[in-house]
Amino acid sequence: MTTIARPRGVLLCALAACLLATLARPAPARADYEIRLPEAEEGEWELEDNGSASFDRNRAKSGDANATVEIGYGVNSWYHTEIELGYGRNAGPGAPVVYQGITWENTLQLTETGEYWANLGFYWEITHAATPATPDDILFGPLISKDIGRTTHTLNLLFTQEFGPAQDVHSPDFSYAWQSRWNIFPIASPALEIFGDVGPLNHVPGLVGQQLLAGPTLVGDVSLGSIGNLKYDIGYLAGLTAATPRYTVKWDLEWELRF
Amino acid sequence: MRPLFLPALLAAGLCALAATARADDPHLTIRDHRFEPPRIEVPAGTKFKLLVKNADATAEEFESFELHREKVVPPGQEIPVFLGPLDKGEYKFFGDYHQDTAQGVMVAK
Repeated sequence: MTTIARPRGVLLCALAACLLATLARPAPARADYEIRLPEAEEGEWELEDNGSASFDRNRAKSGDANATVEIGYGVNSWYHTEIELGYGRNAGPGAPVVYQGITWENTLQLTETGEYWANLGFYWEITHAATPATPDDILFGPLISKDIGRTTHTLNLLFTQEFGPAQDVHSPDFSYAWQSRWNIFPIASPALEIFGDVGPLNHVPGLVGQQLLAGPTLVGDVSLGSIGNLKYDIGYLAGLTAATPRYTVKWDLEWELRF
Repeated sequence: MRPLFLPALLAAGLCALAATARADDPHLTIRDHRFEPPRIEVPAGTKFKLLVKNADATAEEFESFELHREKVVPPGQEIPVFLGPLDKGEYKFFGDYHQDTAQGVMVAK
């Protein structure tokens, strides 16, 4: 899972906001460039690396980068869990790459795929930040997907709530992710992805102050024979608001294997 | 915490509507890492439930890119795969863990 702009970077974000003179609040405390599916595969292990890097002509908004290393397991046909270590750097010149925290991710598949009009799941994760000055948080919300012909559409609606001694935002933050994929070839299918973060629900900024990115991605599943499958989702996202870096590249690499 | 209640209610409602197995549901069996039958007829234009039974001692994954399904079948168990409505035609499927032998075709009529 990708995490950006932890509170250590809030000052930088606030500075960027002042410079832009357009934001009602600093950039949202969390954004995520991963599409989560309401699915669990019993007995499958996953090794995963996902991340993103953002670029902008404004140096204060440029250079944000994150990467994770994850290991996951499908406990049964409706529950998948993962442990993730997150690394990254905040936007701005000279920001160091640091270990950001450990996250426990959980996906519950609530309906059988294809049984109802849409497929429904529920996701929650809990993150313990690497430093005491950074709040821990829990992220949760529904996952929805729908097949229409040869296309698949997925929607994630997620709420983030900070907690712990370092908590500085008391209202949940709302973010969303959308993917529409055209299933052409197993090894490579084009998709459109949209990621947004509206910010704390008790003080939602105008659209210009929200994070909003969209762009094309390529999604695929490559068989590695007896050693599993490699799944990927790589793409380029354009920032659509002043609060969002102009360019972001994202990647999600997942090695599925079974012992 | 109100957002938690909505998905829980939706899930409870959907579970209450869950379909039960019917005698005319199409069946597939995985035996010796092959599908039996390797060619199966299913109804076109309507939703249906395919039952996939794994008679082997190792797990298999029923997979089809054309049907957009990927589901593990544990050894000795039977799972439902909900499909359709399908256009008339042929749809390939395979066992992801034994692709060299576990191949099949679904014919929607």
